[in-house]
Amino acid sequence: MAPRSDPQKLLRQVMARFVREEVAPVARQVDESGRFPRELFVKLAQMHAFGLRYPVKNGGAGGNATLYCIMCEELAQGLLSLAAIAAKQCLMATNFLHRFADQEMRQRYFLPALRGELVGSFCLTEPEAGGDLGRVSTTAVKDGDGWVVSGMKTWITNAPVADFFTVLCQTDPEQGIRGLNFFFVPRGTPGVQVSPGFQTLGTRSTEISEVAFNDCRIPARFLLGQEGKGLGALLAILAEIRAMTAALALGLAKAAYQAGFQYAKERSAFGKTINQYQLIQSKIARLATDIWAAELMLYDTTAKIDAGQRPSKESMMVKYFATEVACRACDEATRILGAYGYSMEYPVQRYFRDARFLLYGGGTHEVLQTNIARELGF
Amino acid sequence: MAIWVIADKCTGCGLCVKACPYGAMQVQDKLAALGPRCTQCGACLEACKFEALGSDLADEPRPDLSGYRGVWVFCEVQDGALARVSLELLGQGARLAAELGQTLATVLLGEDVEGLVPELAAQGADRVYLAQDAGLAAYSTLAYTRVLSELIATHRPNILLLGATPLGRDLAPRLSRRLDLGLTADCTELAIDPVDGGLWQTRPAFGGNVMATIVTPTARPQMATVRPGVMALGPRRDGAQAEVVRHPVRLEPGDLLVRLLASQAQGQRPVDLGAARVIVAGGRGCGGPQGMELLAQLAQALGGELGGTRVAVEEGWLGQARQIGQTGVTVRPDLYIACGISGAIQHRAGCLGARYIVAINRDRRAPIFSVADYALAGDMFKIVPAMLAALKGAA
Amino acid sequence: MPGQPDSPLCVAVLVKQVPDSAEIKMDPRTGTLIREGVPAVMNPDDRLGLETALALKDSLGALVTALSMGPIQAVDVLSEALAMGADRGVLLSDRNFAGADTWATSFTLGRALERLMSQGPLDLVICGRQASDGDTAQIGPQVAEHLGWPQVTYVERLEVEGRELRAWRRLPGLVQKVLCPLPAVVTVLATPQAPRWPLVDRLLWACREAAPLEVWDAADIEAPAARTGLKGSLTRVVKTFSPKGQRVTQWLEGTAAEQSQALLAELRGHKLI
Repeated sequence: MAPRSDPQKLLRQVMARFVREEVAPVARQVDESGRFPRELFVKLAQMHAFGLRYPVKNGGAGGNATLYCIMCEELAQGLLSLAAIAAKQCLMATNFLHRFADQEMRQRYFLPALRGELVGSFCLTEPEAGGDLGRVSTTAVKDGDGWVVSGMKTWITNAPVADFFTVLCQTDPEQGIRGLNFFFVPRGTPGVQVSPGFQTLGTRSTEISEVAFNDCRIPARFLLGQEGKGLGALLAILAEIRAMTAALALGLAKAAYQAGFQYAKERSAFGKTINQYQLIQSKIARLATDIWAAELMLYDTTAKIDAGQRPSKESMMVKYFATEVACRACDEATRILGAYGYSMEYPVQRYFRDARFLLYGGGTHEVLQTNIARELGF
Repeated sequence: MAIWVIADKCTGCGLCVKACPYGAMQVQDKLAALGPRCTQCGACLEACKFEALGSDLADEPRPDLSGYRGVWVFCEVQDGALARVSLELLGQGARLAAELGQTLATVLLGEDVEGLVPELAAQGADRVYLAQDAGLAAYSTLAYTRVLSELIATHRPNILLLGATPLGRDLAPRLSRRLDLGLTADCTELAIDPVDGGLWQTRPAFGGNVMATIVTPTARPQMATVRPGVMALGPRRDGAQAEVVRHPVRLEPGDLLVRLLASQAQGQRPVDLGAARVIVAGGRGCGGPQGMELLAQLAQALGGELGGTRVAVEEGWLGQARQIGQTGVTVRPDLYIACGISGAIQHRAGCLGARYIVAINRDRRAPIFSVADYALAGDMFKIVPAMLAALKGAA
Repeated sequence: MPGQPDSPLCVAVLVKQVPDSAEIKMDPRTGTLIREGVPAVMNPDDRLGLETALALKDSLGALVTALSMGPIQAVDVLSEALAMGADRGVLLSDRNFAGADTWATSFTLGRALERLMSQGPLDLVICGRQASDGDTAQIGPQVAEHLGWPQVTYVERLEVEGRELRAWRRLPGLVQKVLCPLPAVVTVLATPQAPRWPLVDRLLWACREAAPLEVWDAADIEAPAARTGLKGSLTRVVKTFSPKGQRVTQWLEGTAAEQSQALLAELRGHKLI
């Protein structure tokens, strides 16, 4: 057979160039604007990036979790908020539509979302329910030939710009987590109320807010999946969501590491460049080692996902580990840069702020560690 | 055909790694090793001091090239006058011809250009091959290629030099392919091999990061295009005479396939830093648009272009097209003046191809100084105005 | 037949894989270029060539074939060309092709284009102005001569109507508009629109077995060894050296006026001003 290119290498190369040519020159400006990066979002859509992990026959590119994480990792090296937005559009915002929507919804919502014409959002967290899904209090109640959704969701990424929501609701409080189901709610549905965006420390151009569903009436077909199977549907992609978060963390860690590495080679102090000092060498060596470990863990996990497994424990471990590496890398990079790490003119401060975003998305590390321990049988 | 490493003799010194133009040689475990990029060019064989490289590359038999004599310069005519690069080539051609003991000739093509002959003689030409025809009034690739190839076939020169101008770079490769001649583009240095009299053609490669010396062993004439502004003019010989050899021109319809419909001078021509001979660039140290304005004045006074670092562009002091460095353009002017630029590697990578780099910066430790030919530690807001004043005084 | 209204314009684009100039690194001690580990990418000017061809595909339904010469790994630039929208990719790869100068390269590419023409029509060949690793700008005109077609160089905009092309040539301080009959060879240095990004779905498709990618060797294009690669080259590299090694920093001291005088004297000495 004639030789073929390695899709992983090629995708990484294209995305790295996209970051270099399209993202890096505007990253600071986008971050400071605090606005959804519509232009970059549309550019990614025009590259057909949002269908990356869906099958070709359904309008996607026929990729897999590994390719998806490679793209997320590369984008995160340029601007974490853009990477997070793209990651969401590829997976959580469209996945339930992809699996459960009827033909009409597919044409009206799913394919336009892949084309970047519509922004999707995913509503899990509530004011009183974060990692503990059993406490979800947003309800969906059967009403004639449809459903009525009521409740409050918070920390909803992209909500201020979203055109539709995939909302986790309780249909039968008696059933606990077995009563959880996902519903599709278009933005224009009467009763949907989106709060102004939150002021956040990092990922400023990721607009995040609360969404209130005040007795929102939706047709029966907007129940995504079979009733009572909502939790199972979430578990089917949970490992991939966590791997994706780890990929964002890995990308950010690499960006911070690179910034520190470059600066240390150029900056002189006391007559030699600071990379010749052992304390700086120690930081660089530890970060490089951590980043390698995170990378191995991540792509081992995605390989398992692509082999059809559900590596729940591994995905939690890598999400936890890669994020800690990212936080450490951003911290160390700002130290290596000295006062320049404190200056708003250099991107390192943005990495430092953005890293905190990763600590919460995909589960806090306190919850994750508990769950890892539980999976270890402890 | 192959090249191999003789392990007993190899010391792992790495001379071959440095010599390899293709990056195919590496030292692994203290032994030289050939990689897949090897083209068997033989550069490593000559570099090795320990006879540690073996090869079965045979020396090709060389044809008898003694019938090819004379150094030729192709004359570029702009608005009825000789282009400066042609005069520079005449200066260089005269030196090469003298070294070889051969004559210097020029090729002059156009509709009514005979009036330029005395000037060519004054610039050192012993002979002028003159071809005049209405079809040669404006440059056309195919018509010029026809006439030049006829002249070369008839008179068999040893060396043919053209300016590395848009015209020269359009014409020379076409000609080289028609006559099966070797061609080296964009040379910055020409010399005669003292052993066999061949032409050493030196040019920048890999964006100016490497210089390569190239020869044309088997074909004549040896063709090269030469970068404008590099070669020095020769001494003027006012009143000198040149022999004029007229060449009859018979163009065919096939030589005039490309028709010029319109030609428009670009008032607001797009910035092309890649082609600029002089670039004055500013960075963070400019402090704002005023600093950049000062540098624009210097650029104008030197007939150059204004450029800058990523920071300067991001701050809005300069347009994106003027950004030099990894994320901007890579430039290779003759003169690069970096003002208020610390010289991050991303920036240095974009300007290292310059022939001369001048750095003006307040911080004596700024990395830009490590790549500068001339280092001026000081305040650009004092040095640049002083330069402007001196340039004004000299004008 | 080409030229008939219902037959699409057939365009070949020449693309080259080059070291990524954005990834070049300097050895901080010696100031020399580190070439090991530098990723290989599509030559930037060739991306403009592809964009020009694909714009013709958008407007006229042209069929676009990307053609490259290089080692097997150079298949990556063809995959990328397919991802941008090219219809077919052909890689010329043979040990005999290695080490070619522009003469031998243009011969090899010319033979491949002749083979393309034996399979179907070919109306237009588009190249980037020059390759970033060589900067010679010779391949376009040399391929044109091989085919015996007219050439239009330094093009920034291109239109095809019937059997003619209209091109805007960007020269220093000047734009020329020219008319040229097809078939022809064009080299481009700019495009009205920035080159399009590869599409992610086409990128993955290009990596699959069914992708329209072929590899041709010397026998396929009937290229004799004596006319290809290093053997067919008329020029030889006899020496390479680092210009940086020669850069010796000279400090110009004194007051601003003294520094500026000293600098101007030096620059005049080197005929730089």
